[in-house]
This record gives sequence, structure tokens and C-alpha cells, in this order.
Amino acid sequence: MNTTPNSDQDLKSTGIPFGASLPKPGLELPSTSTDRTTFSGGITKPARLQDIAMLTGGILLLLIMSIGSAFAANKKIPRLASGKPDFSGIWQTTSAADYDLEPHANRKDAPPGAGIVEGHYLPYLPKALEQKKKNFEARATDDPALKGYTLGVPRGIYYPEPFQIFQRKQDLTLVHQFGHSVRTIHTDGTDHPKDPYDWWLGDSRAHWEGDTLVVDVKHFNDKTWFDRAGNFHSDALHVIEKWAFLDPNTIEYKATVEDPNVFTRPWNISVILYRHREKNFQLIEDYRFTLDYDQYYPPKPNKP
Amino acid sequence: MTHRPAVIPGLALSAMLIACQSAIAAQNEKKPETKPAQAPKQLKLGGPGIEQERSFPKIVSGKWTGPKLADGQPDVQGHWSNTIANHNNFTDPQGGILNDPNPNRVAKGARELRAPSRVSDPVDGQVPFQPWALEKVKEFQANFHNPVKPEYVEPLARCAPAGIPKSLYWHGYEINQYPGYVLFQFNSGTRIIHLDGKPHLPDNIKLWNGDSRGHWEGNTLVVDVANHNGKALFGRSGEFISENGHIQERYIFSNDGKRYTYEALLTDPTVYTRPFTITVPARKWTAKDQPNGWHFEVEPATHAGKETILDQYERICAENNGSFGLGAVEQAKK
Repeated sequence: MNTTPNSDQDLKSTGIPFGASLPKPGLELPSTSTDRTTFSGGITKPARLQDIAMLTGGILLLLIMSIGSAFAANKKIPRLASGKPDFSGIWQTTSAADYDLEPHANRKDAPPGAGIVEGHYLPYLPKALEQKKKNFEARATDDPALKGYTLGVPRGIYYPEPFQIFQRKQDLTLVHQFGHSVRTIHTDGTDHPKDPYDWWLGDSRAHWEGDTLVVDVKHFNDKTWFDRAGNFHSDALHVIEKWAFLDPNTIEYKATVEDPNVFTRPWNISVILYRHREKNFQLIEDYRFTLDYDQYYPPKPNKP
Repeated sequence: MTHRPAVIPGLALSAMLIACQSAIAAQNEKKPETKPAQAPKQLKLGGPGIEQERSFPKIVSGKWTGPKLADGQPDVQGHWSNTIANHNNFTDPQGGILNDPNPNRVAKGARELRAPSRVSDPVDGQVPFQPWALEKVKEFQANFHNPVKPEYVEPLARCAPAGIPKSLYWHGYEINQYPGYVLFQFNSGTRIIHLDGKPHLPDNIKLWNGDSRGHWEGNTLVVDVANHNGKALFGRSGEFISENGHIQERYIFSNDGKRYTYEALLTDPTVYTRPFTITVPARKWTAKDQPNGWHFEVEPATHAGKETILDQYERICAENNGSFGLGAVEQAKK
């Protein structure tokens, strides 16, 4: 849908204005006093003028196309009518980040992964590190994701289930297949609420830095983990996300995470998100926390 | 970081239901109590409370003359809610609780002074249940406040999605539109209506909210819903559809953009004796309305400009697991 930009947008993104100065091949130029009406028969000047115009137009077009190819990655980025990048689509990570943000060899409960943290390890405060170790030991029962509850930010982004972005000028709505999470990222110039509640997904306010969407997320609760390995945060969590296209079907997602109650300094992560392009791919609701009582509904006939 | 209780406006699920149902009942039914129904009277729109209208205008399918989006869809984006009470009672929306041996709400005034049944065809306003299904519905009603079996706990109380059609008369909700999609954000569950021509999911995948394919016909969004898991009840009154059910919906919008009528044809040979039609009236809520804790759960956003921009905070339920029948279950454990 939004994956195929139109040609206008292609040209716009080269930085060369598209429009009036380009005569379209095959169209006649406006008539002049030396119009064919003043002559009859034979090869006329206006006709030659037309040829020259076509040739010039053609050269110009070629020139633009060649410049365009230098910006190939950029020019194919889908864009909204406003000109901003359009992240609409269904996305998913292929990383092992959700098993453990930090580097880890394989475990019975996790495939190996090099981690996605810049500098490899999370800078825990001593007391928080003890808590993390406890969480790790109890991960088979205590990971909030096991309940099927909302994963929070940034975990929902690199959890290995797809999520769909719906985007308008004023906001992005992220619908996660897992659980029942729906998140709004505001791009309408509004700021965080002054007297906020704590939320599972925090409060997301964004602005554009060029083609990068920069999202400030805060006002979290402390009920979510960062991964299945027990990496955690407090309600002082603050996340700054950067979303940028690498190409039309790939997003580079970066986040800076800070939480002075848990970490000595802010830390950075980076994952790549891929667009789902399978035919007829769609989100399928995953309310797994309802499975335990699935058997009781719908009503079934009483046995005679 | 402030720790206000999880009683956020978007979540009346928790706030309204957990502790004191009777107090809530009193609050929600304040209007009818202080002003006993004498004559049919058009209630004032815009106030809080779940009961608003005794009757509502009919909107017919036809041309759309209102504003359109760039992709050609009628622009119906915004906050909406139904106008005739909530999910307490499906066939007599303002009629109190059915078949409860100790009802904490009762019908106020005569039937004809209350809103009509949501069942608009057949004309008796009753769901044409097969005898076994009617028996189950009555059983559910009688046990709702004392759920001695797990199946008497309303799934919504377990944070399951409200499903179809209940999502449309539970709390207020938001409709967003995008090329190829109409997105409903309910308080319990998000529904993606595909306008993109993709086929339905394979029929062995069953979902709380079903699988929805829609298209616009003038002022009417026509949606075909398949793949129901049949687990979401239509209300506290226990009506249901099964996995074999099929729902064809028509959202008929008025050209002034202020209202729509929801009409749905429900077909299910395993539960009903015949297909039947339900009608749910809805109205739009805008920045001119006062936010309230039921239909219009918004707060003004923080920004430098003068116009009112509304924030709708996260719709989430998992942390509020409890209440309704489930509250009784948990109480019994103590």
C-alpha cells in the first residue's frame, strides 16, 4: 500500500524540485508567431523547435534520473502526504534480543545471541544487579510476558511477534500482536501530560529530526521487564527512541534507556526491524492470557 | 514519579467494577433514581452516565456528502460511543439485571419508556435462541453475581476482549482511518477492519474479535466478520454466538458526522432458530463535550497552542484482572 511511492515523491526526494521547467516529451510547446499557420507544407521551424525541446527535456530527465540513483535508498522511502517518512506496515525483529539483551551463549531456554547493547553489558547499580540475578533465576515463572501482558517499551518492539504501525500526520498507532497492546506515538507537537499516571507503555511524544522519528517516552510503571533474562527497570524509566529507514523495507530502531534507580548511566540498544511482505500476511490477535479459561466459553449444551 | 492508583479514565473496567458494584450502580443510575421516569423524555446528551436516550433517530444508507479522506473514505475519525446504556442487559438495555435472585438494579418505569431492545428483528426484541441455548443464557443470568462455576464469570472480567457486538456498547472508543484500514480502539481490544481486499483467515483460526473485511458503500461501512471464537458474551445478560456464527455489519453514518447506526445480521445455525438483526445507536464526542468516565475518556493534551487537542491514554486491562463474577470467585478463596 504505502510501500510503493509515486514518481512525484521519488523526484522530490532527490532534492530537485519537480515541476514547471520540465517539458513533457511529446507535448507541443506553446505557439509562437512562427507557428505552422504562417507556413503551409514542408518542414517548419516550429517543428524543429519542438524536437529541440523534446531533446532538452529528455536530457534533463536523464540527468535527474542519474542524480536520483545516487539517492536510491532515500528516494524509495515511503512518505506521507506531509513528506515525512511513512512507517505504516507490519514489522518484526529477527534478533535474539528478547531472550537476553546482553551477550549470551545458548541456554536450554534461549538461543545464543551477541546482544544488542552498545558496550555489551547493562550498567546496573550494585543493588539492582542483585535483583537482576534473582529475576534471572526465577525467569521461568516471573517473566511478566509469560502472563501474556503488555510488554512495555522497548521490549514490545524487539519481542519476536509482529506489530503493525498505522500512521497519520498527527500520530503513529502501534498495534502489537502479542497481548492487547496498542500504543500511540504523538507527532502533533503535544508534550507529556503534566500530572500523569504511570502506564505500561509510557507516554510517547515525538518529533522529526530530518527523516528520523525521535520519540521521548516516560511515565512508565515498574511492572515490565526488558527481556526474558530478568533485565528490569523502575518507574523512573525514560526511553528515547530513534526510528529511521535503512531502505523501504527495513527500519533501524535505536533506543537510549535511562533509569537512575537501576542503572549508573544511560545505555543504548539497536535492532533492525523487517517489513513483512508475505502475501496476505496480517496480525492475528494473541490474547494468550485468556487461554487458561478458554474451555469455559462459549456455552455448550447441557448433557442429557 | 507519581503513583496514582490505576483508576485511569480509559479503564473504568478496573475502577468501576472492582470494589463496590452497588455504589457504582447507584452512580450510574443516579439520573433515573432522582427523576423517576414519568414521560418519555429525550435525555440531554453530553452528560456522564451510561443511560442517555430512550429513542434514537434512524439513519439510512445512501450517499456520503460529508468530508472525505485523501484515499476516498468518508472521514468518520474520532471518539464514539453508544447512546442507550451499556452491557448490563442486551434486550432491555435500560431494564436492569435479568433473572438475578438478588438484583442490585431494577428496571425503572414501564418497558415502553425505556430504550428499545437491541434486537430489532424479530420485532419481539428477543434473540431467537434454540431451546438449549436459551437455557444456558438464563443459567448464566441467574448465577452472574454468584458464579459457582467458571463459565458464569463474564469473560470481560478476565480482561478478554469484549468482542462483537459488545465492544460497541461497552465504553467509548476511537475510530481511526488509514488507506486500506479502519481501526477501532476499544477499551478492551483493538479491531483492525481490512479494506485491502485480503481474504479471510483460514477458518480454523478463531478469534475473540473475529476477522473483519470491509468496504464503503456511500455513507455505510459494510463489514463481513468471520472466524469468531464465540467466547465473548453480548453482555451481563449472557447472550452469545458460537464458533459457527457469522456477522454482517453495517455502520451507517449520518452526513453531519454526528451519529451512526450499527446494524448487524447474526447468523448461527447451532445457536439460533433464524438469523436476526441488532441495532446499536452511536454518537460522536468532540472537544466541545465534557470528558466523562464512561463514554468519553479523554484529557486535554499539553501544548502551546490554543485549540483543544485530546489525549486518550492507553487502553489496557491486564493489570486490572478481577471483579464482576471473578471478584466473587476471589472473595470465595479467602
